[in-house]
Amino acid sequence: MRLPLTLLALATSCCTTLAVDLKGRVQWNELCPSLGDLGQAKAILDDGRLHGGITRDGSFEIPDVSPGTYILNVVSHDYQFDKLRVDVFETESLPEIRPYIPGTPLSPPSSVTLPYPILLTPRVKNDYFIPRQSFNLMGMFQSPMMLMMLVMGGVMLAMPYILKTMDPDALQDFNKRQARIGALQSSLQSGDLSGGLSALMTSGQEESSASTGAAKQATPSSSVKQRGGKNRRR
Amino acid sequence: MHLLWLCTAVIWITQTWAIQASEVGVVDWHKPLVGVPLFGALTTAPRFQRVGNAGAKSRSLLFTASSGNILAAIDPADGEIAWRYVFEDNEHIIGYKHHGEVVAAVSGAGGATLRLLDAATGDLLAEKRLHKPEFGRLFDPATIGTTISFDAEGDIYVVSNAHIARRVDGKTGEVKWGWTAPDQSSLVAYSKIVTTPTTVYLIGLAKSFASYTIHVTALSTTTGELLTSGHIPSSISDGLTDFFELRDVKDASVPPRIVWIEGGSVRYFTLTPELKEKPMGFKGATYKNILDIGLSEYGQFIALREDGTARVLRSVPEGFRQIWEFAESANSPKYTASKYVGALDMDGRSYVARVYWSNVYKKAVVHVFAGHLAEGKGLVSGYTFPFETNVHGVLSHVTVEAANPEGNTIVARLALTTTTGAIQLWQHDRLQWAREEGLADMKVAELVELPERKITTSQVGDEEESFGDRLVRQLSDAQNFPQYAANFVRRFVTGSYASASSSAAPSANASEPLARDEFGFRKMIVAATAHGKLYGIDSANGAVLWSRVFGLGWAAEIGGQVIPVKMFVTRTVSDGDAPQVVLVTQRKASNGLMDTVLFHVDALTGEDARGVSASGDLLQGFDIIAGPIVEAYMLRNGPQKFVVLLDEFVQVHIYPDTAENKEAFRQLVPSIHIPLRTGAPGERRLTGHRISSEIEFTGKHVADIAWSLGFPAGEDVLSITPRSPHEPVASLGKVLGNRTTLYKYLNPNLMAIVTGSPTAVTPKCSLYLVDGAKGTILYHVALPSAEGACDVKVSLTENWLVYQYYDGDASGVQSTKSHRVASVELYEGFGIDQKTRSSDLSSFSNETTALAVFEQAFILPRGINVITTTSTSNGITIKDLVVASETHQIQSFPRRVLDPRRPMRKPTNQEMEEWLIQYDPIVYDDPKRVLSHNYQVVGTKHIVTSPALLESTSLIFAYGHDLFFTRIAPSNTFDVLSESFNKAQLVLTIAGLALAIIITKPMVRRKRLRERWYD
Repeated sequence: MRLPLTLLALATSCCTTLAVDLKGRVQWNELCPSLGDLGQAKAILDDGRLHGGITRDGSFEIPDVSPGTYILNVVSHDYQFDKLRVDVFETESLPEIRPYIPGTPLSPPSSVTLPYPILLTPRVKNDYFIPRQSFNLMGMFQSPMMLMMLVMGGVMLAMPYILKTMDPDALQDFNKRQARIGALQSSLQSGDLSGGLSALMTSGQEESSASTGAAKQATPSSSVKQRGGKNRRR
Repeated sequence: MHLLWLCTAVIWITQTWAIQASEVGVVDWHKPLVGVPLFGALTTAPRFQRVGNAGAKSRSLLFTASSGNILAAIDPADGEIAWRYVFEDNEHIIGYKHHGEVVAAVSGAGGATLRLLDAATGDLLAEKRLHKPEFGRLFDPATIGTTISFDAEGDIYVVSNAHIARRVDGKTGEVKWGWTAPDQSSLVAYSKIVTTPTTVYLIGLAKSFASYTIHVTALSTTTGELLTSGHIPSSISDGLTDFFELRDVKDASVPPRIVWIEGGSVRYFTLTPELKEKPMGFKGATYKNILDIGLSEYGQFIALREDGTARVLRSVPEGFRQIWEFAESANSPKYTASKYVGALDMDGRSYVARVYWSNVYKKAVVHVFAGHLAEGKGLVSGYTFPFETNVHGVLSHVTVEAANPEGNTIVARLALTTTTGAIQLWQHDRLQWAREEGLADMKVAELVELPERKITTSQVGDEEESFGDRLVRQLSDAQNFPQYAANFVRRFVTGSYASASSSAAPSANASEPLARDEFGFRKMIVAATAHGKLYGIDSANGAVLWSRVFGLGWAAEIGGQVIPVKMFVTRTVSDGDAPQVVLVTQRKASNGLMDTVLFHVDALTGEDARGVSASGDLLQGFDIIAGPIVEAYMLRNGPQKFVVLLDEFVQVHIYPDTAENKEAFRQLVPSIHIPLRTGAPGERRLTGHRISSEIEFTGKHVADIAWSLGFPAGEDVLSITPRSPHEPVASLGKVLGNRTTLYKYLNPNLMAIVTGSPTAVTPKCSLYLVDGAKGTILYHVALPSAEGACDVKVSLTENWLVYQYYDGDASGVQSTKSHRVASVELYEGFGIDQKTRSSDLSSFSNETTALAVFEQAFILPRGINVITTTSTSNGITIKDLVVASETHQIQSFPRRVLDPRRPMRKPTNQEMEEWLIQYDPIVYDDPKRVLSHNYQVVGTKHIVTSPALLESTSLIFAYGHDLFFTRIAPSNTFDVLSESFNKAQLVLTIAGLALAIIITKPMVRRKRLRERWYD
């Protein structure tokens, strides 16, 4: 009986020399001013086998941490904390604390080291709810869709008067374009996509040919003018 | 670009169904529980304590440690939880002690951790590790070897591991000194501590030949140095109950003492720092027992005489004095054995209460003795109270708080713990409140559909109805018409339809029979607890509608326990009649015999469906097998449903045992495959059984071994998760972006098996997918083991397997320590467009092994305890993952995020057509998807998902400790007009258009007319 007990005592002593009690503190901020807001929470290493409860003054202590690399996290119902990487060494030196981004490889470790004892800050308070969508007449008319509809309606109503006051040439042009778009729309509606595209293409060609035609028409006149100029010089 | 994709993914994920703040408590409910009090030891049992400074400002709280490993304080005024502190699963509460504004609690093996909590709020003040849990000495019961004591300054003296004493500062939690028993005396197990201003006495027991001897060690209070130590001549037979310490905090002239019972006499020893006193005997009568009633700090205890008569003894400077003898407290068949308990009032005066059940009056009786009343002669006040033993079982623990408002009146407040796990508070003979804490120990639960609301018709088609009769009938039918019309108009105008987020609870009219709501959100939760009670709970608000206490059958005389194993809904509403439930239980009698007992009840009322037990009485079961069961199933043959049980000898028992069911079973025999776990622990195998079509000479079918699947040496089968046999599958395949199809692998015999090799040199875990009909391994993966334990959570539905584990390997270059969830999808054939019709394939076809596996692992934000998927009535809605996480939350993760076919690069157009998003190893942790939002759902062990009538919605019920119920719509409520649907906008738009027509019509007409004239 005595031998196992002494062995046990020895084991305890040898383990206590290696293992470290990891100390840290939660910094209360305006997001989370006290333990009453945080609720029962604990700091855990890895999957929670080693843990320490967060006390009213924010401090925590994770006892008997053997050398190794750990991820420190805070298990809290309502708050999110940064995850930290903790390296505990076999030598007497203090544990090294580094920031850690979840999902990234552990090596190489981040070059930034944080001070020990660990300081944790509540980052985000969980918001579980989505706002209620309520009916609001002003809001309804402020929406871009509604505004567009209103503008369209206004244009529709005002159209006859605009057309009346328009220049007859521009009116002709406008009517042509309108007809082209109408044709495209009807072909699209009938599902004849290629037909609609070709109609667009041909209309485009027409337009280009029309413009070149206009250019052609323009050049003779200019030449005439030039000629006239020559004639005048003569 | 990558960031952009991530953003779109996040935006797309966040645009999903979430709860609105106004829906809290409407679509969900949460029942926080403290658990069944641990009344076995005085250190963990419920106690009334006054919190705060003595006097009028203090308030009383009912403290208790519970089976849910929770230390809780309940407000005795209304029965609400004032606070609760949840301990780790592997760290059991050993004891707690209250002093002023602090509660000290020790937990873990041998008292490994000491915590100081604020008594009023439950805030953690300090946490101190006393020793490593691995070095904790295990005692039975665990409460010995650890004890706490406070001194006047609020410092804590704690003995842990039965041989280490420490003085801990009551404010900072710092250890002031520690003392460890030297090796030679660690055979002494210290279990009590007495503090005086100068000396601390540790009292323990040393094992001698046939009994125990008391050993006392005196330490200095200030330095902790050893003053004296020695045995006290004594012989104690029961080290748990036969000795305790006594002192009187109110009278300093009474020295601290140890009292014990030895050979029929009460003996005591006065503690002095030198330990020079001699053990003394209390002369008078012979006693059978002494009871610590929680007044040892006030110098009072109970001594029981041979015939059971109880005497209250008090420690006085010169010895002991008998201050009272309870009349008629001797053992008698007229009443049950009495429970004695001490009580205090606001001013710290002590009372002793005796509570028993009278077999004559069929009521519970209380006698409260107040020693200070009647000019110090003592006075007893007694009354009865109507405890309902048919509903709550038997009293198992009592704690009392007394008050003496004036003269000789005594008002007592009793907190009872019953065998069914309820906590009740009785003020005098009135029940103030009751908490059904047995619900925290729920073992099985099923959600049962409710019938439709019956529309009362006044007349059924009667041929010979005269005109006058018909007129009268139709008029009487029509009398409700104005009301109906008014309702219709109001509904049409305001748009107040039943929506998917409205409450399912019935209106205040309670007289209406149970009926479901519009969308089938209201169901009956039938649940059985380990404390011998069956409950019917309304899923709309969590109210207990009926409850039944199990009868013990032949074991009633010797006592026993009913442990629920499985529950089957054998008749549903769609079968035409009131739904029925069969509960399969194992009854463990106190003499060690195990029987299998069935309870068959009407799910709506809790009435015995076999008609054996009366409605107000105990529910008697049906002893189907005289022995344990191996497995229980429910078989269906068309509308017929019956329960099949396999006993130890793999014989088949059918319930109900009718000729029809036997015939149906005979027809089903060829299609039944039963895989069972067999073999000794450590070398368990999976053995497939088939049932013989012939009936054996015993009159029963017997299962024979058909195949056996051995796993590698040392691998033990830890869990088996079969695919749910009757889940609806809406589509057999998945159409991809390129118009090809992946056909789902839907083998009905599929099962997931987790194995572990805890004894191996390098422990590892494995997960297998096995065809349960022939034992073929279809999929195998080796998983890392977390320090020898295999904590793998598995969910298997349709062709989708999800498992979660912790990967703690940090050795590799790319490795990262995290909780992982792996999503595996199985498809038929070896690629696209290959179809084997796996759902109807014969189990013996070679093609059952032809399957393609898509798998991908993800990183979960936190550890989880339970994993399951949603279920809907037709399986059309996407199945989301529902988990209970370590933060006491119920959270859902969208299926799309866990899609194993998510591409590793930017998705192509075809992939985008399938809504696939680029792979991201981290599962986005969205608080909007926390279904339990602000509720702390503690200790969830099971999550049941059940379909509602609406295809879009799945009902979720979490149990294990706290109860939580909610609904979830993974693909949004597509089959119901959304809550945000704007009826007003629609009506306004239509009205606006109508107005526009009215305005423009004359304008257009005038214009036309003008055109006719002037064109």
